[in-house]
Amino acid sequence: MEAVISIAIGVMAGAGVWLLLRPRSFQVLIGLSLLSYAVNLFIFSVGSLSVDAEPIVRPGLPADLAHYSDPMPQSLVLTAIVIGFATTALFLVVLLALRGLSGGDHVDGQEEQP
Amino acid sequence: MTALAQHAVVAPVLLPLASAALMLLMGEGRRGWKALLNLVSTAAGLALAVALLLRVQAEGPAAFSAPGSGVYLPGNWPVPYGIVLVADRLSALMAVLTGCAGLAAVLYSLARWQHAGVYFHALFQLQLMGLYGAFLTGDLFNLFVFFEVLLAASYGLLLHGGGLPRVRAGLHYIAINLVASLLFLIGVAVLYGVTGTLNMADIAAKLPLVPASDRGLLHAGAALLGIAFLAKAALWPLNFWLPPAYAAASAPAAAVFAVLTKVGVYAVLRLWTLCFPAGAGPSAGFGGSVLVWGGLATLAFGAIGMLASQRLARLAGYSVIASSGTLIAAIGFDDPQLTGGALYYLASSTLAGCALFLLVELLERAREVEHEPAAIDDGRPALPDFGDADPPAGTNLDDDEVALTGRAIPAALAFLGLAFMLCAMLVAGLPPLTGFVAKLAMLMALLDLRSPAAWTLFALLIASGLLSAMALMRVGIRHFWSPQDRPPPRLRVAETLPIAALLMASLALVIQAEPALSYTRATAEALHQPARYIDAVMAARPVARAAAREAAR
Amino acid sequence: MSLFFVLLLPFVGCAVAALLPTNARNLESSWAALVALGVAVPMALLHSQVQDGGVVVQRLMWLPSLGLNLVLRVDGFAWMFALLVSGMGLLVIVYARYYLSPDDPAARFYSLLLGFMGAMLGVVLSGQLVQLVVFWELTSIFSFLLIGYWTHRKDARRGARMAFTVTAAGGLCLLGGVLLLGHIVGSLELDAVLSAGDRVRAHPLYPATLTLVLLGALTKSAQFPFHFWLPHAMAAPTPVSAYLHSATMVKAGVFLLARLWPVLSGTDAWFWVVGGTGLLTLLLGAYAAMFQNDLKGLLAYSTISHLGLITLLLGLNSPLAAVAAVFHMMNHATFKASLFMSVGIIDHETGTRDMRRLDGLFRYMPITGTLAIVACAAMAGVPLLNGFLSKEMFFAETVFVSASPVVEFALPALATLAGVFAVVYSLRFGHDVFFGPPPHCPREPHEPVHWMRVPVELLVLACIVVGVAPTWAIGPLLSTAALPVVGAPLPSYSLALWHGFNAPMVMSLIALAAGTAVYLRYDAAFKQRSRRTAPGLLGLDGRRLFDGLLAAISAGARRGLRLAGTRRLQAQLLALVVIAALAGFASALIVPLTWGDRPRVPLTLEFVLLWLLGAACAVGAAWQAKFHRLVALAMLSVVGLALCITFAWFSAPDLALTQLAVEVVTLVLFLLGLRWMPKRVAQEDPRTATRAWWRRRRDLVLALALGAGLSALSYALLTRHAPLSISPFFIENALPLGGGSNVVNVMLVDFRAFDTMGEISVLGIVGITVYAVLRRFRPPLEVIDRPAQQRAIPDDFDGDLVTRSQGDTPQAYLAVPAVLVRLLLPLAAAFAFHLFMRGHNQPGGGFVAGLVLATAFIAQYMVSGTRWVEDRMHLRPPAWIGAGLLVALGTGLGALGFGFPFLTTHTAHVHWPWIGEVHLPSAALFDLGVFLVVVGATLLLLTAIAHQSLRARRRTEAG
Repeated sequence: MEAVISIAIGVMAGAGVWLLLRPRSFQVLIGLSLLSYAVNLFIFSVGSLSVDAEPIVRPGLPADLAHYSDPMPQSLVLTAIVIGFATTALFLVVLLALRGLSGGDHVDGQEEQP
Repeated sequence: MTALAQHAVVAPVLLPLASAALMLLMGEGRRGWKALLNLVSTAAGLALAVALLLRVQAEGPAAFSAPGSGVYLPGNWPVPYGIVLVADRLSALMAVLTGCAGLAAVLYSLARWQHAGVYFHALFQLQLMGLYGAFLTGDLFNLFVFFEVLLAASYGLLLHGGGLPRVRAGLHYIAINLVASLLFLIGVAVLYGVTGTLNMADIAAKLPLVPASDRGLLHAGAALLGIAFLAKAALWPLNFWLPPAYAAASAPAAAVFAVLTKVGVYAVLRLWTLCFPAGAGPSAGFGGSVLVWGGLATLAFGAIGMLASQRLARLAGYSVIASSGTLIAAIGFDDPQLTGGALYYLASSTLAGCALFLLVELLERAREVEHEPAAIDDGRPALPDFGDADPPAGTNLDDDEVALTGRAIPAALAFLGLAFMLCAMLVAGLPPLTGFVAKLAMLMALLDLRSPAAWTLFALLIASGLLSAMALMRVGIRHFWSPQDRPPPRLRVAETLPIAALLMASLALVIQAEPALSYTRATAEALHQPARYIDAVMAARPVARAAAREAAR
Repeated sequence: MSLFFVLLLPFVGCAVAALLPTNARNLESSWAALVALGVAVPMALLHSQVQDGGVVVQRLMWLPSLGLNLVLRVDGFAWMFALLVSGMGLLVIVYARYYLSPDDPAARFYSLLLGFMGAMLGVVLSGQLVQLVVFWELTSIFSFLLIGYWTHRKDARRGARMAFTVTAAGGLCLLGGVLLLGHIVGSLELDAVLSAGDRVRAHPLYPATLTLVLLGALTKSAQFPFHFWLPHAMAAPTPVSAYLHSATMVKAGVFLLARLWPVLSGTDAWFWVVGGTGLLTLLLGAYAAMFQNDLKGLLAYSTISHLGLITLLLGLNSPLAAVAAVFHMMNHATFKASLFMSVGIIDHETGTRDMRRLDGLFRYMPITGTLAIVACAAMAGVPLLNGFLSKEMFFAETVFVSASPVVEFALPALATLAGVFAVVYSLRFGHDVFFGPPPHCPREPHEPVHWMRVPVELLVLACIVVGVAPTWAIGPLLSTAALPVVGAPLPSYSLALWHGFNAPMVMSLIALAAGTAVYLRYDAAFKQRSRRTAPGLLGLDGRRLFDGLLAAISAGARRGLRLAGTRRLQAQLLALVVIAALAGFASALIVPLTWGDRPRVPLTLEFVLLWLLGAACAVGAAWQAKFHRLVALAMLSVVGLALCITFAWFSAPDLALTQLAVEVVTLVLFLLGLRWMPKRVAQEDPRTATRAWWRRRRDLVLALALGAGLSALSYALLTRHAPLSISPFFIENALPLGGGSNVVNVMLVDFRAFDTMGEISVLGIVGITVYAVLRRFRPPLEVIDRPAQQRAIPDDFDGDLVTRSQGDTPQAYLAVPAVLVRLLLPLAAAFAFHLFMRGHNQPGGGFVAGLVLATAFIAQYMVSGTRWVEDRMHLRPPAWIGAGLLVALGTGLGALGFGFPFLTTHTAHVHWPWIGEVHLPSAALFDLGVFLVVVGATLLLLTAIAHQSLRARRRTEAG
């Protein structure tokens, strides 16, 4: 499982980076989303990975990471998701504004000069 | 009183948030009230910061001696489980600088810019909240959150006013900062994975215990974190976004941005002195040389940029780059004397940059061109046409303005000329202003280091001063001496006052150089003994129920 | 009477003068004269204390920790210079009153002049080296402003810029040198430095120090090869030239050389560098001066050469020479200033300074003529005048210098040659201008008003008195001034007129005779020349070199910027990514990553399949994002779903829930945005095609590398044993102290509520930013017309994207879904409430609840249309945000009332009838704030974009 997760992170990050370096603003947008997916999963995977641990406190269960999933990374990921969502939305809007002002969809507002 | 005094650390963060929330409730109108609220709350924030600084200074070397003073536990959870706010000398200094820049910018914006878009005041307050929070927090992830707050607000302020250049610069600025934030997150995650905690002091305390097998992870994480900070601190070659963005931003926004780059510098200084001090075993001084040489490159790049740029606004942007390059290089040497001088330089350059950005707009006003047909925004032209004679409705400064322009143009031009010359001398580090004192303090500290890097910085500091002096003189001659047919600028008190105030502050820093320098030196000393910070934070205890009842009564 | 007041006085005067009325020449000048007197008198009174080696020192603590205090130190030498500065200043002030025209802004002139006087005074009185540099730079700045006084003139601007650049650069070098000096000596105070000469000369850093200090001094004194700025500084008003560029400021360089003479001199390096430069400048300046046809140009070059003479004397390493140098400083100041002033008079009365047009002026202005001729004679070194004496001493020194035979032979010869030149240019001024045919100049020349001449008369009188009765007139003064330089005992010298018929006498006679001969032979030829550069110098023109240098510098800077910087986003992101990768890899390689041995979680087929799909979609999205945005979007959300399932899989239900909700909203957002994107067709610009091709290859490699790197990092993290984390604490205390059994939610609203507060602020900020930005959104025209798909809908439909005449009610278009969706709203609200209430104990919480409600709202917008919704519900999202922030803040502040820190929660356990025991943690209230902000922000985001359709439509209607 660990291998699958890290490979998944790698693939998402790779695709994200590739898109990040493209000239079209929409590509950059998608790339940023993919990257933030990768990073969220990365943070999540930092906590001890456990399939059948308890997220909710049940009385009588010894309070350690063997029986519970690590709440810290989860809360970090939650915050990260929200902030990522907000900033991505902002990027989308600025992208639209640039599109409206420049007429094109190149990230620099004009096509590249040879 | 004591009951409230213990909350002084968190107050600077909450005050702007509260006023911003109120402004949002007010809706889109009521500019006058919002402006007033903005002004009052910013001034109050500055007052709080100054109070904080005085208190930290009063505690002298034995800072944090009094229980709970300086260290604050929101949520009342024991260290290291809860989030912790720490106000030490460095944080207090940065907070005060933030307050100064903020107040100046607000004053300035009252004249014109507040009309250029909706929710300017709310965004401004949230910007301040983010800055204060970033400077005061002692928790790594909380630092990330406040970074995001101040960045989001800065996006808003940068786009304030609209127009193609702003939007284009904004897109680049946002994209780069988003990537940097992702790096920040990865770094935080790795550090948490390695140390199992997020409290900076706790991380620093646990780092020596990290097993050798995890060093690689630790260093990778720290490096990514550092890159995230350095990208915000405008280290070459991560700083190409800065000149366009700062040149495009409206003057008040740019003035606040003068503090923004310092946030990255602050973060590096804080975490590196805390986590990788000389006595940190295998990781001691991790990445120091990178900081030094990167800083040197940045300084050179900034100087070259200043020389190459035609527009004053871009020149100002490059001067910001040069100053943060100086700071990063100086920090990299990890030498208390040098750091002390560098901190004084930080204060000086922040005030100077702030004033310069405000001034730039007044100077370039005549040639200011909005690239967008003045877009209708709540029934008022997007940006009051700068050529116009009568002020836009809503600015109740007409009397002042009439008085000021009535007293003949030369007065205005003379003020601009004098202010520009002082700014130029500050930026170029010409005697006898703060820039010079700061460089002097650093140069004298460098003489004792005697390493190639030290000599390089020594030479570069002097050379960059000369280059920027030449660049600024060229621009100054073009603006003031070349025969100009364009109408002389119309100044408003609200625009000249903040600039004058900032310059006065710089003069005060010169006259009071001894106390100021001794403060920054003490700050540097404290930074180079991280143990004190760590102990202070770890010693903080949550308020007991009984004690709370006492305090409540 | 503290010296500091004396030093402060000119600066105060400067400020006051700036505030006086602009054109009040009388008021300004009398005020300035008053100030100058206020400086001169107290300085003069100090004589008794400094005459035989006495030193007056006063301190003002400023930066003791850096050893930087304000130290004023007056010894004989400084005293002499202080008198020179203030006295000469007084004369110039009087003179300028009549020189300036009524409409010149006298206020600026006099305030700058006083400012300069203060700065110069500071230089000579400084007892501390850094302080000296400070005032040194100040003089540069004031001279810059004074040269550029007539700002409208191009030559003034250029001259000012040149002078400032050269001297300021020198000043910065001087700063470096001074700091090195202080570093060697261990103190920056002049006393300490003067007494540490041997240590300095022996120190390994001596050469560097010497070089830097000399760079400072030689630039300031316009020594070769930095001499070129001085002639161009002549664009300044003549009083300024007389004051700054002959009497005082240019003397600062030689002043410094003399000041540090005891410390730095006495070595071969000093002899060759200083002496050599001096000799070169002496010859070059005198030679070039002969060929000038502009009177001020002639004087400028002669100034250069006389400064060279002084430098040469100082370079000879002999005390007697140093005395001669000091003597010549005084003499040169007197006769050169008087000459400048008479040039000013001539210029003022005739309207030109061109010697080719000036002739036979003597019959028009006999008095001025006499004065000028006497001064010229002094400059030429004619007996019975002060110039003669110091020149004699100079010749003597050149004869008696003890060095290699070559030097011993060449030096006197060259000195004599320079003397010849001096005689020639003195004659050109003194004879050619005043005698000969009547001039043809713009104005009918006549004597100036008497007061304009008075300063000149005084100075010339001084020349004569000193020349006739030196021992009586100047003897004591000279010893006072020279003693501090060479140190006691003062070498024996006699100021007698007649030393008998000796070598120096011969040299003088040769110079006079030969000079006269040359003048008579070549004068006409000189006047024919039109070029300003002297022949035989290969047309070497300092100005062109300098301008070329500056141009080269800024051109180089621009090129450097192009090389080292970029404005393209892709390049910037590339730099960021690459550097991050390098940093990560490098630091991980120092201590290589190792896989841990933690027991792996057994592999499950479904999960593998899930991520096969996820990975495929990620790659697909990357592949399709350019031409098929919708497809890419779909794939992106598949990846999101995979992520969501993964969270659920590894027992993180809250994450799964949030991810899902966010996924939905993001999708809607992107879909709304897609409408404005341009139609993308393949357009391969052949010129950029190959570059793009290479770029893609490069990025592919980079992407693979980075993906692999991040994978390795996370694998290393996943497989190692977790350190003792702080997490168990949260699990233990979630229920007892946090009052909730859903640990993650308790963390969000309690343990780390401060983070959440920041988080919701970010949401709010983004919301209002988006709103503000989109108010200015102008959709490009080609996408305003409704898409082809919508043109198909029935004509009598009224909705967002098409407007019909008012009153038409929407008909059977999406009617059924619209009704259903309307029913959805209350259900969604109920579900949101449910999620909110259970959040503290079960997966859910304010954030998810908020997203659900917002989604329900947006569904209304989508199906029923913006207008329909906004006619029926009045939503003010910003207010929701504000309210939410206030609620959260208020909840946190509530704790203060109970004496607890901000955000401390309290759980109330109330017993309600029929319901039973209920936990009411205050955190729930905080969560309510989160809920409100989320609803507000999300609505704001979505509606702001949705509104664009309406605005675009309005725009087209507007035309």
